[in-house]
Amino acid sequence: MLSVENIAVRYRGVTVLQDISLTLAAGRTLAVVGESGAGKSTLIGTILGLVRCSAGQVTWNKAPVRRCRPALVMQEPRSAFNPRVSLRRSVTEPLIAERRPVDENQMAALCRSLDIPTDLLERRPSAVSIGQAQRIGILRALIAAPPLVLFDEPLSALDAVTQKHTARMIADLQAKEGFAALIVTHDLGYAAAYADHIAVLRAGRIEELTTAQAFIDAPQTAYGRELRDAAFALGALERVA
Amino acid sequence: MTISISGLSVSRSGRTLLHPTTVNIEPGERVGLVGASGSGKSTLGHALVDALRRQGHSVAHVPQSPDEALDPLRSMGFHWAEAESALDLAPDVARQKALFEALRIDGGDLRKRPWGWSRGMQQRFVIAMGLIGTPDLLVMDEPTSALDPVVAARSMDLLDRYLADRQTALLLITHDLGLAARRMSRLMVMHEGRIVEDAPTAALLAAPGTAAAKALCLHRNWLALPC
Repeated sequence: MLSVENIAVRYRGVTVLQDISLTLAAGRTLAVVGESGAGKSTLIGTILGLVRCSAGQVTWNKAPVRRCRPALVMQEPRSAFNPRVSLRRSVTEPLIAERRPVDENQMAALCRSLDIPTDLLERRPSAVSIGQAQRIGILRALIAAPPLVLFDEPLSALDAVTQKHTARMIADLQAKEGFAALIVTHDLGYAAAYADHIAVLRAGRIEELTTAQAFIDAPQTAYGRELRDAAFALGALERVA
Repeated sequence: MTISISGLSVSRSGRTLLHPTTVNIEPGERVGLVGASGSGKSTLGHALVDALRRQGHSVAHVPQSPDEALDPLRSMGFHWAEAESALDLAPDVARQKALFEALRIDGGDLRKRPWGWSRGMQQRFVIAMGLIGTPDLLVMDEPTSALDPVVAARSMDLLDRYLADRQTALLLITHDLGLAARRMSRLMVMHEGRIVEDAPTAALLAAPGTAAAKALCLHRNWLALPC
């Protein structure tokens, strides 16, 4: 289980995150929503161990979180890969880092789940579509079977139909592999459809943390209500008779 | 003035990006141009703007990100004056005040450069610049994708209110059928450089005829919840 306990992050006297506590069990999904500058990406950096906490701690099963080697799926899929090497080389980097051999059967199974023709992996990042690149980014994140996967706006570069297909693939793989998923997104529709819990981050603090259903039914804060209403106003969520 | 263009096409390096296309838009009409990435939506949008300007129509184009419309080294006041000057309009304080109030950017400091304003205010400023000359058509290319949802919804609501009962037509270019269906009265669906469907919103949602429109309709919302 991921456990974030009372963490704070300060840069040069500016508080970026304050008093953040949350838990996330294996196989479950937590969506973190909030406006630009709220601290969402800093939270991801803190959980990955890339950003140092000024206070508090982040653990996975009571051990420092880095030991579980959490994986990250980035927002801009094509620039997430080294442009000079084949996608296969980039995808296998998590295994190379752990000095583990590539299990071709596992690779083939993941490729099938993510609808990635294996010959695509011989290409460079610029030679695949954005949707394909993001699915290959997910493949790279899952290749070493991490127990925790962080997704930083994983769908925002994709078109609406590709978003829904990719979200379905992530959820199906999560059901099969059992990883915990922490998804940072500005898209409350995605969060409502796939997350177990939703945390609203605002100005570095968690304003609200509740089940997705409870949040959509009755947000507890004024900003939560604005977010929910905006999702309906922009057509991400719809009310039907 | 009714907008009517036929035979609009675009080719590059021997490849046809936009097959001969006809577009008719009535004054004040709200039209959504929807399709997957790479279907040719923005190509049609740019070609339409160029062709209509050649015909003598007044057309404003609001790009996806305000970064594409605003020079980071120039003040907001400079941009406004430049937009008026490009339309051969004399500075008009009353017009500026009305647009700024309608789009809720009247609190913005025109002496500041774009980065001194929030993203939402920058986007609404770009929309206001587009509306200076009361254009026949306002073309907006993915206007919500660079903004936080709360800010995006507010900007679209304010624009809706401003355009109500005005003659300026709106063409909303988006990959997101949910957004277009919520706000536009007519939808054009693009696929591989062609408009494959063109129908009133309710009719298209009720009976999409092509595979492209069916896919968009099937995935138009994340969740449909009971009232």
